[in-house]
Amino acid sequence: MNSDIRKTGKSGKIVLFICLLVIAGIQLFPLIWLVDFSLANPNELFTSGILVWPEKIQWGNYVKAFVDGNFLLYFKNSILINTLAVVFVLLISVMASFACIRMEWKLSGVVKTLLLMGMMIPIHATLLPNFVIYDKLGLTDTIWALLIPYIAFSLPQGVFLTSSFMSAIPKELEEAALLDGCGIYRIVFTMIMPLMKASLVTVAIMTYLNNWNEFMMASTYLSTKTWKTLPFAILEFTGQYSSNYAVQFAVMALTAAPALLIYIILNKYITKGVAAGAVKG
Amino acid sequence: MKKLYSNKYIILSLIAPGLLTFVFAILVPICLSVYYGFTDFSGIGAANFIGLENYTTLFKDSGFWMSLRNSLFLAVGFILIQHPIAIVVAAILDKLQGKAEGFFRCVYFIPNVISVAIIAYLWKFIYNPNFGLFNKILQSLGFKGDVNWLGSGNAIWSVLLVLIWHGFGWGMLIYYTGIKNIDPVLYEAAAIDGATSAQTFMKITLPLMKTVIQMNVTMAIIAALKQMETVYLLTNGGPGNETQFLANFLYKEAFKSYKYGYGNSISVIFVIICLAATVILNKIFAEKDERRKRA
Repeated sequence: MNSDIRKTGKSGKIVLFICLLVIAGIQLFPLIWLVDFSLANPNELFTSGILVWPEKIQWGNYVKAFVDGNFLLYFKNSILINTLAVVFVLLISVMASFACIRMEWKLSGVVKTLLLMGMMIPIHATLLPNFVIYDKLGLTDTIWALLIPYIAFSLPQGVFLTSSFMSAIPKELEEAALLDGCGIYRIVFTMIMPLMKASLVTVAIMTYLNNWNEFMMASTYLSTKTWKTLPFAILEFTGQYSSNYAVQFAVMALTAAPALLIYIILNKYITKGVAAGAVKG
Repeated sequence: MKKLYSNKYIILSLIAPGLLTFVFAILVPICLSVYYGFTDFSGIGAANFIGLENYTTLFKDSGFWMSLRNSLFLAVGFILIQHPIAIVVAAILDKLQGKAEGFFRCVYFIPNVISVAIIAYLWKFIYNPNFGLFNKILQSLGFKGDVNWLGSGNAIWSVLLVLIWHGFGWGMLIYYTGIKNIDPVLYEAAAIDGATSAQTFMKITLPLMKTVIQMNVTMAIIAALKQMETVYLLTNGGPGNETQFLANFLYKEAFKSYKYGYGNSISVIFVIICLAATVILNKIFAEKDERRKRA
């Protein structure tokens, strides 16, 4: 497989490698710049160099970011809301897929198409009407104002992925279980779900990536701190510390850290999940 | 057993959660948008029915046409700049193997896992005329370095650059997966026949990647239509409507100009455009595939 790279010769190989390094540099440099400035004194930002060498590393910037950015509260909300969204999306999409693929009823095809249509609907087209609906129902500023749309907009992809994996599972397996007196629910939750572990991981990752960074809906439907998510640490901070840029850099670096850490730890699964999700979706 | 599979209550209980979420969070809001789109509702007070007035205003609104033009600009930018780089990088990466392959793949994807809120603010700083990274780089190269990157004329290019940078890893990863699915025997055969890397890329990799490319192009166009978050925080459509996009436009009209009814009419057109674009793109690519199969 690498026979043709040998043909390219050593110099060609080095050129290609340098190209890859340059692109890696472009992808990473803004983030390095961010971390660099987050540790500097705000006045040092205006020096002429591209990067600064802080005279004294300003850990205090991070303390301010952590405390005044409501980091802990927003982080906790993000974790809770995203975990719930992932769990609901997994359960609901497996159930719906089973109903559409295995159960025998007239409208199964129509309902499945309807659910998949959601993939084509732009999220932001529902911002205005949902705002009115949630307002009328008293859902604004509750966890439901985020959970419902997060689940709804991750569901189409969930149904798409789970149903395509489910149709590859041989039906004979369940039929044997049915003969043994197993109910449908038990089959779905104790037999089918474990068999689909790989695709469920994909759905979970896609749902997580979709929702973790979402802030448009959150800033439209929420007004108090109670359920605000991590992006608000930044959105609110810029007003509060509008002239202290270094602290703003610190809050950005701090907010980026959790997702970045998770990505580096789960890198393999996320790469696979995104690839599977995108190619299938 | 057959009875169990067609038991209405079981079917209903399985499908109800999904269907209800869809109806409540997507279908009803869109129907509501259609209703408000015919009114002059301002957000408070009464909503008067005004027929198609919002739509006739919309088609005369330069902000609307600007939004569509910008989506087209983004889509072309993605397809002509981001994707060719992504596909070539994916092909090189595929040949690397070992630790370097995993390292680069990981690094390229990093911007993707970072929140758009962070990305937008970070780039706002990078473009900052006083201490921004870009002007500092220009200064260190001996230029004056007082470019207003988000000013008139430059802004849309600056937006494009951020989006290309942010989405590069995603596109690359999908091409990379596609390339990994190509049977290595083909490359070996090509190598035996004495093909160069460039020839192998043009004659084997690209043709076999056709469906992946089509899919990626479709996604790029849809993403360009749906663009909102980055622009909302980076420029909010400005200066003027120079970097306006449909989603941001409808939001601004509804919440900043208190034209809630008008905003909803934009929502309706927005949904129609996205649906139409998806259907048309799928049709075009499906037809091409069939013609190729028949030929």
